[in-house]
Amino acid sequence: MDLMLIIGLVVLLIVVVILLWFFSYYNRVVRYENRIDNAWAQIDVQLKRRADLIPNLMETVKGYMNHERQTLEAVTKARSAVMTAKNPQDSIDADNMLTGALKTLFAVSESYPDLKANQNFLQLQDELTHTEEKIAYSRQHFNDSVLQFNNLIETFPGNIFANMMGKKERQMLQIPEASREVPKVSF
Amino acid sequence: MAQQPRLIEDHIRKNKFDTLVICMLMVILLFSVIFAIGFILGAPPILTMMLALPIALFYIFITYSFSVQSVISAAGARPINSQNREEKLLGYKVEEMALAAGIPTPKVYVQDSKDINAFATGHKPEDAVICATTGALQQLNSEELEGVIGHEMSHIRNRDILVMTVTVGVVGAIALIAEIALRMLFWSGGRSGDRKGGGNIIIVVIAIIFIILAPIFSRLTYLAISRRREYLADADGAYLTRNPEGLAKALEKIKADFPDDPKGSKTVAPLYIANPFKRGLRDSIWSTHPPLDERIRRLRSM
Repeated sequence: MDLMLIIGLVVLLIVVVILLWFFSYYNRVVRYENRIDNAWAQIDVQLKRRADLIPNLMETVKGYMNHERQTLEAVTKARSAVMTAKNPQDSIDADNMLTGALKTLFAVSESYPDLKANQNFLQLQDELTHTEEKIAYSRQHFNDSVLQFNNLIETFPGNIFANMMGKKERQMLQIPEASREVPKVSF
Repeated sequence: MAQQPRLIEDHIRKNKFDTLVICMLMVILLFSVIFAIGFILGAPPILTMMLALPIALFYIFITYSFSVQSVISAAGARPINSQNREEKLLGYKVEEMALAAGIPTPKVYVQDSKDINAFATGHKPEDAVICATTGALQQLNSEELEGVIGHEMSHIRNRDILVMTVTVGVVGAIALIAEIALRMLFWSGGRSGDRKGGGNIIIVVIAIIFIILAPIFSRLTYLAISRRREYLADADGAYLTRNPEGLAKALEKIKADFPDDPKGSKTVAPLYIANPFKRGLRDSIWSTHPPLDERIRRLRSM
């Protein structure tokens, strides 16, 4: 009788420990996953912000850079690609296009002293560079969060719980190497 | 960078535990100092004990509540002015690093000083403050400033700022109380000796020695953890910027730039990215920060 009681208590204890363990994993998985979604929301905000700044920039440079139709068109095209992108990877790809187009525009602007002296233009340039950095860093944070989440649900014993919860590995954002190159400027 | 991200959650949990232990140690130390003073003044031990604990707890609470404002005013810091391009760009850098760390953007302050320095304070990431000197804004380039801000951001994310800020307050208070007590004893030394029997004199001496040692002890407790946290913040900061070289170059500039004593540096010293005091004191066991050369070496080997 006593033995039965002890065995019963031990079994109960083991069950409680496993349950507690599961709860802590469950909360972790949910927290990490929410962080990924939140990180994406941050990127999205910055992408929109940058797209919103473009019309102002176009308005400012229009008077000075009439001979750079191609450069200006590339920026406008990239902007509308950002606005219409359907999924995260498309948004990022479109944004990389925009980054490249803007880089060319700012490089070309070096040969327009009047434009470079324009306060409005300088301010927009600062702000666009800042938004670009913010996109880069929120993308980095997104990938860090995805890596942490994937590590959690793929390593033992997390993978057992993750399977029970039906959680799948998340995709990191791919950043093309080409976007890191210095743009070639031809006049 | 080949560095694997640490499990930041585990790291933060350990840091919170450390913080609790240190805050408790500080309460006990403050309590003991008040108790020792009461004893020397000849108050009944029970009464002192009943008074000392609330006083110690109340003081810690006050320090906790007002630490951020008092650090900012001790440093003479002011919020950034967005009309000034350098200060605006500092605000931008802080925003960028906050995104990389995944925490809310801290408030940004500047301190008018020729030296290159920066500090972070606050209780938790939601009410954190980052402050840089105007010297840092003028002398550091964008990459170096980013390294410095990344370091401060890591202090905020790792929850170092609470323990740093509160200990700065308590260490200061213990030093102050001890000094006042010793002065009081010096003046009233003769009388209290007459009042008590000879048997108590040994305990009184022990109490006096304790009051003398308490400020030293409180500082050492703090220093023991502070240096390790600086290395960690360097490493985490480099992970945020993905560029250890930026911070390494900034530290080199700080090293080359012979620091003057900026305003309020005695109070704020442990919070700065690099110790603002003269070179001679820097690498002793009293340093709140590890030697700059060692920090630069570690950053370069990442």
